[in-house]
Amino acid sequence: VFPGVRQAQWLTKTKLVEGLPPAVQGIVDNQALGLQELEERAKHVVSHARLWDTTEVAPRREKYCPVLFENLLHICRLMSGKYPSLSKRMLARKFRISATWERESILLQVRGLSGILMNSMTPIPPVASKEEILATKEHVLETFYPIAPTIDLQEVNVYRELNDTGQCFRDGYPYSHPHTLFFLESANVRTDRFRPEQLRAKMLMFAFGNALAKAKALHGNDPKVLEQPIVVQSIGTDGQLFQFMVFQLNTTDLVSNDGVKNLVWIDSDQNLYERAQCVPEVKKRVVKKPAGIFGFQPDTFKKFLALYLHGTV
Amino acid sequence: MAALGAWRLLRPGRRWFSETVPGDPSPSGSPLYPPVVASITAKSKAAKSRRLQRFNQRVHAAATVEEKLRLYGKLQRPKYMVYPQTFALNADRWYRSFTRTVLVPGMPPRGAAAKPPVAAAGATREAGRAPEPGAEAPAAAEAPGDRVAPGAAAGAAPNVDIDELRSLACDALLQESFYQNKKRPFLYRDQDHTPGPFLTQLVSTLAASLSGRNPLLAASSLDLSPEVNYYWHHGEEVVLHGHRKGRVDPVRFQIDDNPHLQIRVPKQLPEVVPLESDLGDVPVIDHKPSKLPLFKKQYENKVFIGSKVADPCCYGHTQFHLLPDRLKRERFIRERLEDQIEVVYRSNGIASLFAWTAAQAMYQGFWSEADVTRPFVSQAVVTDGKYFAFFCYQLNTLALTAEAIKNNPRKNICWGTDSKPLYDVVEDGNVKGFNDEVLLQLVHFLLNRPKEL
Repeated sequence: VFPGVRQAQWLTKTKLVEGLPPAVQGIVDNQALGLQELEERAKHVVSHARLWDTTEVAPRREKYCPVLFENLLHICRLMSGKYPSLSKRMLARKFRISATWERESILLQVRGLSGILMNSMTPIPPVASKEEILATKEHVLETFYPIAPTIDLQEVNVYRELNDTGQCFRDGYPYSHPHTLFFLESANVRTDRFRPEQLRAKMLMFAFGNALAKAKALHGNDPKVLEQPIVVQSIGTDGQLFQFMVFQLNTTDLVSNDGVKNLVWIDSDQNLYERAQCVPEVKKRVVKKPAGIFGFQPDTFKKFLALYLHGTV
Repeated sequence: MAALGAWRLLRPGRRWFSETVPGDPSPSGSPLYPPVVASITAKSKAAKSRRLQRFNQRVHAAATVEEKLRLYGKLQRPKYMVYPQTFALNADRWYRSFTRTVLVPGMPPRGAAAKPPVAAAGATREAGRAPEPGAEAPAAAEAPGDRVAPGAAAGAAPNVDIDELRSLACDALLQESFYQNKKRPFLYRDQDHTPGPFLTQLVSTLAASLSGRNPLLAASSLDLSPEVNYYWHHGEEVVLHGHRKGRVDPVRFQIDDNPHLQIRVPKQLPEVVPLESDLGDVPVIDHKPSKLPLFKKQYENKVFIGSKVADPCCYGHTQFHLLPDRLKRERFIRERLEDQIEVVYRSNGIASLFAWTAAQAMYQGFWSEADVTRPFVSQAVVTDGKYFAFFCYQLNTLALTAEAIKNNPRKNICWGTDSKPLYDVVEDGNVKGFNDEVLLQLVHFLLNRPKEL
């Protein structure tokens, strides 16, 4: 109906900050990591996913979106040659999350197959300082009077409040901290895919759900302000546009509208490349556009890598 | 008119009033008559060979590799579809005869390219070294446990931290089989439920952690469920029925393979033995391929390594194959065909690796009339989730067509092991009976690289 992120913000009691947090931005700008050499590889990887991966002329989105994602993740993983602590990560595919919370006497629940989750053994340190967290007390959540905030949500009878990521993983799992969630919009037909705004809202809801489940597993079910905020990152893409998000859960006291709020940093609509030409465009026997990738933006890849390295570098 | 044409040819550039000395060759030096060759369109053996020569010249003269591949597979006729993962009995003998491959049991000795290869059964340096860490691991894990065996040859014996790799492997296994709550597997899709994701996790984490030691891995490209295709001719047969009845045709084969995982690299793996080595015999089978059973179909002739020719990672490093549910061990044991279990692994290794290495060679411009000048080496691991079998293939020749094979003494070589279990059982969050030998062999495969790196 109207931008989904605003509704998601109200539902999760979150304050939005545009752009990536300074900690992640610091990793992007850090020259010592040698991100320049990786640009060449990133370009090859994009060409592979979009141009070379199939016996047909051009691969379809259902094929190239996951392939591009896997290739980018492969480059990121190869950095663990330089940073051995990166190997303390594990990917979980077909991951199911379920989390429940109350907002002003409305019971909300997030459930579903949320894509691919990367877990790590160590949690990400909090991104915002204590002052910033306290400053969110002043922030007023925007309401949508007269529209109820639960518009467009499915109302179901919940018989069991399923609450933990322990529901997805058993106790004693060594990689117990959710690190990053990945969402791939890879449907071929455009109407089956989420629009960027809806994708960001989905990312926010699932990141919140994971963080909340982890908080309840660590600190119990009582609503309170967390001493150690929990940070969960999220990346969503449709093969070309990337949405980056860092969510910090500061409080599980979600019933009231005041007090400390949660924080989310969103960097939206980052293009990795402008256009992928599979067949050269020829007009009147003259090649107008040769085959290849045009408008490659290395910054988007650097942000992807920075979010991957966040927490260990 | 022929007479007028001959008249003109008889007098090329000769003037009526020329003063050249008679007996001189004519000024242009061209032959007096056109060359006398067989016709192109007649229904005769000479015409057929002339058409074949013209086709060969066309392919030789192709400007780019894509054009060569297009011309090579242009003519579509019914061909045998060779499946690497097959339940056919003794399929590995048949596949070896189709691809002219010699099977050598055991792994090739590392760093021994100059020495004559030892075709011993499974006795390699790695296997000799592995029992030491295997015995010490349950006890206090010490770094010396994985040190190089004394008196090792000059070939690189890597100093790997086996405990860390073992913990990575166990974590991957436990996550997929124990910790992550999944729904029940779909009917006959057990392999997609647990062993598939486990293999993906294992290979990606191992490759990432070993990329510090192997710069080739750091520049590699990992494909999930890629497509590998190869089309070739081998032998001759007579067409049985149809409008082409009675003609002698080459026997055409096509392999369409889908490995579970594949690593492609920009530089070629080093050769294991010299190009002209002869390590054994190729089985000769007198029956038609359709007796295997093998069936014919006509469709596009594809040659593909996993990505197109423009990709810089055009050489293959390692493939990982997952055996499907219909070929699991319990089925063979139930039908009292225990000896066919190893045949499944071997036929998968030979067929897939032949297709991959031959397609890599075609991407470099070689084909059956322009044979390879350097051997192409690739590796493969065939597994059903618990049992692992390792294969290393060296392609020495692509010339398998009936004419080219007459003067071709070279054979392709495949080294392969029997399948060994990686672990015994997973219980209560513990992996029991982990086998370090298999893990070490996998690590050696991943660390394989050219000498100069």
